[in-house]
Amino acid sequence: MPDMIESIPILSLAILALLAGGLLIVLAPDHRTVRWVALTVAVLELVLTVIILVRFDAQLQGFQMVEKANWIPTLNIQYQVGVDGISILFLPLTAVLFLAVIIASWNMVRVMPRLYFGLLLLLEAAVMGIYLALDTMMFFLFWEMTLISFYFLISLWGIGPQRRFAAAKYTLYMLIGGVPLLFAFILLAINHADQTGMAIPAGLSFDYATLLATELPSGTGMVVFLLLLAGFAVKTPLFPLHTWLPVVSMEGPIAAATLMVGLKLGAYGLIRYAIPLAPEAAQQLHWLLVALAVAGILYGALAAMAQTNLRRMLAYSSISHVGLVVLGIASFNIQGIQGAVFQTLNFIIISGGAFLLTGFLYQRTGSTDFISLGGVARSMPLLTAFYFLFGIAGMGIPGTSGFPAEFLLLFSALKTHTGAGLAALVGVVIGAVYFLRIYRRAFLGAATSRVIVEAADLRKHELLIAAALALLILIAGFYPAIVLDVTRVASEDWIANLATASP
Amino acid sequence: MLFTELNWTLNSPYPVLITLQLLPLAGALLMLALKDSLRLKQVGLLVAGVEMLLVIDMYRRYNHTTATMQFAERLDLFGPFAYHAAVDGISIVFMLLTALMCLLVAIYGIIRGLEPTSRFLSVLLGVEASLMAMFSTMNLMWFIVLSTAQLGLIGYMLWRWALSPEKDFALTRFYQFMGIGILLLLAGTVALGWNAAHITGQWSFDVFVLSQVPMLVGFQSVVFFLLFYGFTIRTPFFPLHGWLPLIAEHGNIAVAPALFIGIKIGVYALLRFVFPLVPDAIIQWHNYVVGFAVVGIFYAALLAMVQSDLRRLIAFAILSHTGIIVMGLFSLHHLAFQGAVLLSVTFGLAAATLSLMTGMIFRRTRTTRLDKLGGLFDHIPLIGITFFIAGLSIIGMPGTPGFDAVHLVLEASIVRFGGLVTIAAALGNVLAAGFLLWAFQRAFLGSTPEGATSANIEPARPSELLIAGLIVAVLLSTGFHITPLMDLIEMPLESISQLYPGGDAGHD
Repeated sequence: MPDMIESIPILSLAILALLAGGLLIVLAPDHRTVRWVALTVAVLELVLTVIILVRFDAQLQGFQMVEKANWIPTLNIQYQVGVDGISILFLPLTAVLFLAVIIASWNMVRVMPRLYFGLLLLLEAAVMGIYLALDTMMFFLFWEMTLISFYFLISLWGIGPQRRFAAAKYTLYMLIGGVPLLFAFILLAINHADQTGMAIPAGLSFDYATLLATELPSGTGMVVFLLLLAGFAVKTPLFPLHTWLPVVSMEGPIAAATLMVGLKLGAYGLIRYAIPLAPEAAQQLHWLLVALAVAGILYGALAAMAQTNLRRMLAYSSISHVGLVVLGIASFNIQGIQGAVFQTLNFIIISGGAFLLTGFLYQRTGSTDFISLGGVARSMPLLTAFYFLFGIAGMGIPGTSGFPAEFLLLFSALKTHTGAGLAALVGVVIGAVYFLRIYRRAFLGAATSRVIVEAADLRKHELLIAAALALLILIAGFYPAIVLDVTRVASEDWIANLATASP
Repeated sequence: MLFTELNWTLNSPYPVLITLQLLPLAGALLMLALKDSLRLKQVGLLVAGVEMLLVIDMYRRYNHTTATMQFAERLDLFGPFAYHAAVDGISIVFMLLTALMCLLVAIYGIIRGLEPTSRFLSVLLGVEASLMAMFSTMNLMWFIVLSTAQLGLIGYMLWRWALSPEKDFALTRFYQFMGIGILLLLAGTVALGWNAAHITGQWSFDVFVLSQVPMLVGFQSVVFFLLFYGFTIRTPFFPLHGWLPLIAEHGNIAVAPALFIGIKIGVYALLRFVFPLVPDAIIQWHNYVVGFAVVGIFYAALLAMVQSDLRRLIAFAILSHTGIIVMGLFSLHHLAFQGAVLLSVTFGLAAATLSLMTGMIFRRTRTTRLDKLGGLFDHIPLIGITFFIAGLSIIGMPGTPGFDAVHLVLEASIVRFGGLVTIAAALGNVLAAGFLLWAFQRAFLGSTPEGATSANIEPARPSELLIAGLIVAVLLSTGFHITPLMDLIEMPLESISQLYPGGDAGHD
């Protein structure tokens, strides 16, 4: 029996279930059924990812549960999926976030729910594919697939008057960002043919593991790294390529904004592709990474301070936070990479959770502008309390999952780039300042408007989402080893790969 | 390059090619005869459907492990004008597309109510017969004659079912351009035949013979330019595209463009009749052609951006992308040849889809001016999504067949021309993404403009959904599983690539 269970291609199933769900949901007879189908598929996905997590052995090196099939044999492009310690935890957390988004959208979406929930499930499939892909072309396929869902989610269900502009801006940014990624992957494939002395197309390789082992001349490596950095920087987003995020967070629907703020796919791309595939160039250009990181930390924090709207404020603060992740990556030591992975995971539950709560608030008040808020705590004590928890977790207060991650990141940065580390500390302090200031203005004080006084507190399903995410934050905060143990072996390998290529 | 062939008796119990050509021709005549019969539509659809099945049957019987031409049929008629038909994987790819497109157009024409139905179906099946004949003939003169007949039919289609008051002017311009193209082709063909007569003592237009006749490089160049411009005028290729925007704006919206622009005969003809015959001239001139192609990509993309009419915008989008196809062909690299063939099919299907969807929009709004459109998505979401997916195929979004094709072309062009040209071409592509997205947004998602009639827009009919669904299914399934198509064209293109050494190994 165990053999039979193990022979089930569970990773492919985790992608296929979502694809099938997303396409079949169109057939649902009425709007009520649509929601239930979406919920069922999302729960099923969570179960699948938890099974994957249980089957995963954190002590083993390399990729596990790998599944391969020929896709385009003449070009050596394969369908290939697998997980390692870096990607494994993203799966269940992403499943949780999508589940939360689906529950949160339950009553919010009234027009064309079939398309809406279908797109959400297709988006989740693409995101899972991004984490699981072990072939650069397959990764690129899933990477671009996210665009279609986001485009329609923003343009059709956006809450701002400029939603169409926001959707086009986002899509164009991402399409332009996709060009350097594609070029980098093609250059790597051609380089593999050069190194092995084989002809094209027989010598092309898009296989991640093969590419890791292929030698890369310094010149090509530099080009590849810069292309990958540019492509991922747009998505992350890194300052100065960030301008789409505040726009989308204001104009897009809460669901799309939550997913964009929560899922830092660009940071994942940097960790998984940009640095390991061009390790020598990455280490030579560490100063560039550090500069981008520090600029992002400070700019994001200062800009967040200047905002008068909760959603924009969260967007800018996420730009600041992700800068710290990049700084951790650029330190190229074990604390840095462990912290970076941990913090990227944190974004899913902390930033995602904070944005969902903001959405709940928006649903009640019709605005997230400070001017129309104030005194929320009176009528909505639970919402206020949870918001506080997500806020301090974002600041990295001990007891929350933000603390170990931020500690590791700052520690690694101070060790390797002391000046930048100090600048990051300043950024963290500013973060505390603006969060507390905003929190006081928006949530505490006297209620100014009747809407707020009469608003209901969190409903059951909203409470469920907030509590579940809060629980994850506290567990990982008090017992960070459950994350660090899983990511340790893969992180050590990541560092070892850099060391072999050190300039 | 040495052409070889297998007689039809070896693969098939019946002569496939002649059946494929005569069935639609018979159908066309039958349509004229049946005129008022009630069964007219069903018979028309039946003929188009059976043709599709026959092509699929041929595809199944085709042996793709060899480059040899198959299903060959020969009949000696008048010396150099002998009937000689045979196909390889490249022809089959185009024939599959032709059969699919004609079936879709037949369904579309019937639901759209193009009157008189008998005449419409007759012209359509006539075009299908001519296309099938062009894709199967091995005789260049036959090809040119068929091409002329077909242009007559297409021109009639463009004009007869158009609503613009300026359609006569557009038709005249169309025939002027196409006439010049045919004259160039005739000159090139006669030159080839004369050269064969000069050397072997016998006139011939058969590509099997012509490919064996030696030619001086200077003479090759003359023939190359005559044939190249003759074929690319209709593709269309910058800077000989003057007819396209006019026809797009004033001609018939959906039906004729789907057949004429959707099926890229020019690309097929270059691969079948030009690349094997004048390799030295092509090697000499390919950089020049690529230069024009890159300029064309940008020129058309920029012009597309300033269009105020959806039809003209699509026309420029097509022009821009033909640049990428030509760039692929003249990279003279095996991967790029594959990419170019796949691109022709993808862009063809996608462009036809855009035209058909535009036709469906026009049926409801009576205009395609972008400032008069808006808010269509609420009424016809599936037509909108199909439009969007076709647009994505043109951009080369992963998951659509366009991606695999563009990817092949870019890969080869990095090897051939280095990063700069390639990045330029890719940026042109993103530019295209920009304006298609903009048009989509304007027409489908933008707010309904003042005085527009979109409030009472009729929802999509089941038959329209059938067309849209079929297209989406074909695009997405080939997008995720392109291997069968690549297998089909691998060997035939291999034998062409061998004429252009350095194309598969020389990247240093």
